[in-house]
Amino acid sequence: MSLIVPLAIALCVAAGVYLTLSRDLFRMVLGLAVLGSGVNLLLFASGRLGPLAPPIMEAGADALAAGAANPLPQALVLTAIVIGFALLCFGLVLAARLANMARSEDADALRATEPPGGEGHKPAVLEP
Amino acid sequence: MSGTAGAATPTGPAYVGLLALPVAGFGLLVWGLLHHSLPWALTLEWVPSLGLDAAFRVDGLAAQMLALITGIGALVFVYAHGYLDHEPRRDRLLAILALFMLAMVGAVSADSVILLFLFWELTSLTSFLLVGWNHADPHARAGARQALLITMAGGLALLGGLILLAQMAGTWTLSGIVAAAPGLRADPRLPAALALVMLGAFTKSAQFPFHFWLPNAMSAPTPVSAYLHSATMVKLGIYLLARLDPAFNDLPFWEFSLVGVGTLTAVWAAALALRERDLKRILARTTVSALGILVLLVGLPSPSAGLAVAAFMFAHALYKAPLFMVAGNIDHATGTRSIDHLMGLRQVMPWTAAVAILAGISMAGLPMSFGFIAKDVITSAKAEAELLALVSHATVLVNATVVAVAGVAAVRVFWGRPEFPRARVREVPWSMRLPPLLIALLALEFEFLPALADPLLLAAAQAISPGLDAGVLSASYRFDNTLTALEITLGLGLLLFLFWDRLHALGHRIHWLDRYGPAAAYEHALHGLARLAAAHTRLLQHGRLSGYLRGTLAALLALACVMLWLEAPPLAWPAPPPEQAVAWSVALVLIAAGAVAALTLRDRLALLMASGLVGYGSAVLFLFAGAPDLAFTQFAVETVLVVVAATALRHFRGEAPRLEEPRLANALFALLAGAGVFLLLLPLAALPPDTALSDWFAAHSLEAAHGRNVVNVIIVDFRGLDTLGEIAVVAASLLAALPLLAGLRNRNHAA
Repeated sequence: MSLIVPLAIALCVAAGVYLTLSRDLFRMVLGLAVLGSGVNLLLFASGRLGPLAPPIMEAGADALAAGAANPLPQALVLTAIVIGFALLCFGLVLAARLANMARSEDADALRATEPPGGEGHKPAVLEP
Repeated sequence: MSGTAGAATPTGPAYVGLLALPVAGFGLLVWGLLHHSLPWALTLEWVPSLGLDAAFRVDGLAAQMLALITGIGALVFVYAHGYLDHEPRRDRLLAILALFMLAMVGAVSADSVILLFLFWELTSLTSFLLVGWNHADPHARAGARQALLITMAGGLALLGGLILLAQMAGTWTLSGIVAAAPGLRADPRLPAALALVMLGAFTKSAQFPFHFWLPNAMSAPTPVSAYLHSATMVKLGIYLLARLDPAFNDLPFWEFSLVGVGTLTAVWAAALALRERDLKRILARTTVSALGILVLLVGLPSPSAGLAVAAFMFAHALYKAPLFMVAGNIDHATGTRSIDHLMGLRQVMPWTAAVAILAGISMAGLPMSFGFIAKDVITSAKAEAELLALVSHATVLVNATVVAVAGVAAVRVFWGRPEFPRARVREVPWSMRLPPLLIALLALEFEFLPALADPLLLAAAQAISPGLDAGVLSASYRFDNTLTALEITLGLGLLLFLFWDRLHALGHRIHWLDRYGPAAAYEHALHGLARLAAAHTRLLQHGRLSGYLRGTLAALLALACVMLWLEAPPLAWPAPPPEQAVAWSVALVLIAAGAVAALTLRDRLALLMASGLVGYGSAVLFLFAGAPDLAFTQFAVETVLVVVAATALRHFRGEAPRLEEPRLANALFALLAGAGVFLLLLPLAALPPDTALSDWFAAHSLEAAHGRNVVNVIIVDFRGLDTLGEIAVVAASLLAALPLLAGLRNRNHAA
């Protein structure tokens, strides 16, 4: 039981990396989403999982209760969630547009900005 | 070269102003020499916090260089007026020449090593611009690039050497380093520092194996060759070595390096001179040879070697600059510099022929010339030093070649049956006749009136060899030894001159020189660099996104491995589960299930659901771990994301195609990344958290920002500017997505 937190986070990151390395555009972008979730959890856990009370002061009190959670990682993760969301939405739309234009969902087929193909998959490089 | 077509370039005020620079500089120098005794010093505060001063110091050696720079400079400026009479960009060339002159003046008068380096590099840069002047000519471009690469690489070495020397001596001035030198003998860094300085000097003064850039720099217009590549810039390396010589001349390392490299350069360049047919290139080879002799002389430990360096440096500038101008005159008048096509020019170019004879006599070291005096002091210096017999014999050979080249430049092309129709070739204008004539006559005058040149020579010699006493100069005008040596040299030189064409044919047959010489090594290195860049670009810039990601991940993982290995944090099990064990378990199982499912699912909608599962799982975890704000945000984001993704999904096929990819390698990367995160998390529970920032935010949240929700206060108050940036990012991504969406819609309509 105690190992399940780091295990789940590690699994999340590993799955995200695996999906991101895929040649399929859609899987790649969703890999970013999974990887992002994993990294957010990592950041959150680095603030130590333990105290369970939200870092909100009671009415009338002028300090946080003793058992309150660490507010700093929460603030960071909150920012990361929103930024990650914006990135993903843009990534999805971009991937859709690329797939639509190239008539292919293979990331390796997107070569419009690469030099013309040389030997095999290698681009031609200007010889000295 | 410039041809006769087109109108002559008018002489504007810019030309007059530029010409005034060297003339004024020379006048100022003469006035200073007459009214103030050497050395002159000037120190301005520059960067006091680093102990750096802008220090200038002019002693006898620097004054001699300054005389050459401004005096020959003035005449070169006049000469360039005639030589470039049809060149519309003449004033621009002269402006660069003036910049070069200022850099040279700075380099020889700087006492601060940093200033010396800056001016040194500025001379390399201006030399690059001047060599590549005829930029339409590929040879000129290649020559300019070669000169720049070699002298700049040497300049870097020089900077390293000077900084090392300055650190060892604890001062940033050259005079300070020389004064502190006796205390540096035991320092283990000294050989490295001196080797670096020598590398800088050898590249600048075209010593073996860097000698090949100088002949290739002959693509420059002739005024540039006469000024930079014979009289001044290439002497800068010699100048620096001579400057440091009083400090290190009794070190065997210093002596052997200079004598060895100097001799090798002199012999090698003399031999290569025999393989050339281009008059300018022949002269350039003998310049390299003379520079080798100068390095050899600097390396000799005897005090009279200083006098020999000063005299030969002066004599060489005074005969080589006019000879280059002679080559330029011939080129200007006939359109060729190949000695095969040049014969009997004496009849049509009598003035140029006279200059060539005067300078040639000095070059050959015949009596009644300044070159003779130089040769004389060199002979005395060599007699005083215990030279290896090999070095002595080598210098005789070199001198014989120099005599032969003097014959080629002064006799061969001017005598004999003219090959040119006389009507087509005319003598050059006065502005091209007078400057070389003046320099050559000056050399003659110094022979008959030594009182004019002697004080300057002696001051320069004493700057190189402080032990030299003033009587040496007049005493060394005893010509017995020299006359004997001269007979041998002249005899050998005459033989070389007579058999020049046959020797040339012989030398031309030695093909391995072209394939394995240092010049070929330079070409190989240059091409190798380009090939390396091409191979490296092919390897890394292959245009495949997943490959880039793998590369980036590999670098990150390697970095993490190094850090884990260096730090080796204590590994510990995390804290026991809190009260909400059930809720946590549910959340974590959701996350894990989503992650595993995402790996295997190929149906895109199902994949979207699986990734949503990870997000909702995280939200549940946040909710039960004291972070309700995070939970609500994550729930909202996941929901909206599913809507956006579903829209995008319309443009993909329903199921991901099975593409060929390195699944095993990808899985390995994923496993390594997961393991890294796991290892990162394990020691966390054992380490005490640093709550300094969190406590500060919690303490000031109510009092400073009147908020009770600390997380919100951090975001909107304490880090408000960051949040503004975040909002800007979201807005920007929306703006960027809009045209993409519009494009998608249009395409669908069209389809």
